Amino acid sequence: MAVDPNVESSLSDDALELFVEGADWESVVDAVEDDTLTVNMGPQHPSTHGVLRLVLNLDGEVVTKLTPIIGYLHTGIEKNAEYRTWVQGTTFFTRMDYLAPLYNEAAYSLGVEQLLGIDIPKRAEVVRVILLEFNRIASHLVWLATGGMELGSTTMMTFGFREREHILDLFESQSGLRMNHAYIRPGGLAQDVTSDFVERCESLLELLPRKIADYEDLLLKNPIWNDRLRGVGIIDEQTCYEYGVTGPLLRAAGVPWDLRKAEPCLGYDEYDFEVPTETAADSFARFLVRIAEMRESMGIIRQALDRLPDGPVMVADKRIAWPSQQALGPDGIGNDPEYIRHIMGESMESLINHFKLVTQGFTVPAGQVYVPLESPRGELGYAITSTGTNKPYRVHVREPSFVNLQAADVMSRGHMVSDVVVVVASLDPVMGGVDR
Amino acid sequence: MSYVPTRGHGLIDPPLTHDELAQRITDAVEGVTTEQALGELTVHVEPDSLLAVLRTCKEELACEMLADLSGVHWPAGDHVIERQSSTTGWPSYRVSRDRGVIEVLYIVRSASRNHRLRVAVGTDDTDPVLPSATGIYPTANYHEREVYDFFGVRFEGHPDLTRILMPDDWIGHPHRKDYPLGGVDVDYKHDKYIPPPDERDLREVID
Repeated sequence: MAVDPNVESSLSDDALELFVEGADWESVVDAVEDDTLTVNMGPQHPSTHGVLRLVLNLDGEVVTKLTPIIGYLHTGIEKNAEYRTWVQGTTFFTRMDYLAPLYNEAAYSLGVEQLLGIDIPKRAEVVRVILLEFNRIASHLVWLATGGMELGSTTMMTFGFREREHILDLFESQSGLRMNHAYIRPGGLAQDVTSDFVERCESLLELLPRKIADYEDLLLKNPIWNDRLRGVGIIDEQTCYEYGVTGPLLRAAGVPWDLRKAEPCLGYDEYDFEVPTETAADSFARFLVRIAEMRESMGIIRQALDRLPDGPVMVADKRIAWPSQQALGPDGIGNDPEYIRHIMGESMESLINHFKLVTQGFTVPAGQVYVPLESPRGELGYAITSTGTNKPYRVHVREPSFVNLQAADVMSRGHMVSDVVVVVASLDPVMGGVDR
Repeated sequence: MSYVPTRGHGLIDPPLTHDELAQRITDAVEGVTTEQALGELTVHVEPDSLLAVLRTCKEELACEMLADLSGVHWPAGDHVIERQSSTTGWPSYRVSRDRGVIEVLYIVRSASRNHRLRVAVGTDDTDPVLPSATGIYPTANYHEREVYDFFGVRFEGHPDLTRILMPDDWIGHPHRKDYPLGGVDVDYKHDKYIPPPDERDLREVID
């Protein structure tokens, strides 16, 4: 143990400051008079869900205070979007919460559509609902997988990621990308779904219920899973409200609050589904809520597949509509020969319109909207300000991960250090969303 | 296990309409104006009456949650907005301000009655100061740190007003409109040395 003269102390004069060089733990223990200790956890730590850094104040092994330190993944997406057109914004916001990219696209697109005052075609709406609910299942699967891994269950980790990959295959077949799709655009969808879309969805709906039953068999009566989760990280209804906590955490505290019911958009009020709740308000209740939500999502997808109408997937207004009915040619490039022939050979005005739409984008009337959507982690809100130009003036994202992370402190106080891992896992923060 | 709500109803009571909400707030606090646009209610308040309005929302209008808190910077001066008016028929939009304003928007929401409204407050952008809402809504803690980080608004009474997403030693407040997106001119033609982000002097760019 030695004092490094090059390091300037930021502590007050009477504070005890120790520099540990290795193999000198005994002298550190002797020097510390009380049992309180400040320990840094992360940002590179296998159980902190990405680059989350936690500073723990410990009394013995009991947490007295937890301070999350965030910002390691900040990429300035909101600022960047102010310099891009409204359609290009989709490709930025889809990279925020990378486990629920379609929710970011959908909430942003809904905000732009509300400013434009347009309704999207019914087919686009139903396809959005199907993909959003599949995305919710995929996100909850990753939560199960990483949450299981953090508690030592590598079996659960492989199971969760295995089934999620099937859902990502579906996304890839429709949008070309496993993640960060930019498939949901202001005005509708980037392109129509493929001819085997319904078939693919149905095979997934056949597969997933069996797999989810497997997870329940594996975990529901598993003594380790029960001991680690039950009674850990309790947050009651009132504390949820005070800290703005939404999503599965609020529902596990007994509040049937779901924005799909409260502020239905995308025709969610036409679907018959229930809002699962639990009353224990602990990590195990959140596990039960998320499992039940996956089942409800599959019910919604089934109803949506039954009512999937034919028709366009992009608004008819040519001032807004990005050409979306394109076909993949034999050369692997997504050009529609009919469309190319039309703009290149038949109509000069169409060519001009296409060119202006692609290079400058459309303009959006001035105004402010706040559009909330029930993402897998809670209320995902887009506060969009437009000044009537072809770029957003300001887009602020209310990220559920960011807001929910505040509650990690009250949830882990009084628990052991090992329970901090459970608390953070049950919060399910995605650092791409927290840091934006 | 679950509930079957009718469309738009809250968990306990039906929502108040925007007119009722506006009436109740203007009755409770003086000097407040309301505006309804795009299906949303906005309450414009002065910084002095901000906390009174938020307290009214929480205690009398059953708004138990602060859903969102964000900032928008409206700098001073005439703003000529580049538009492509040939493609749309919308009216032109011009902004002219004699002083720069940082507008802070609070979205308060009631789960029990299922209504929400926006509280908008402005503060001068040369010395932005607002009272902190953390005493009423503890969730404002992170949000206010974010607005301080990005816009430089000092929230008086905040327990720990430090940067949250940008590094602690960052210079400037990046979401202000006078803060450029880039930081260096990129010129690839003449073998120009482009400094890595931590070696860039942003003070030059901002001043």
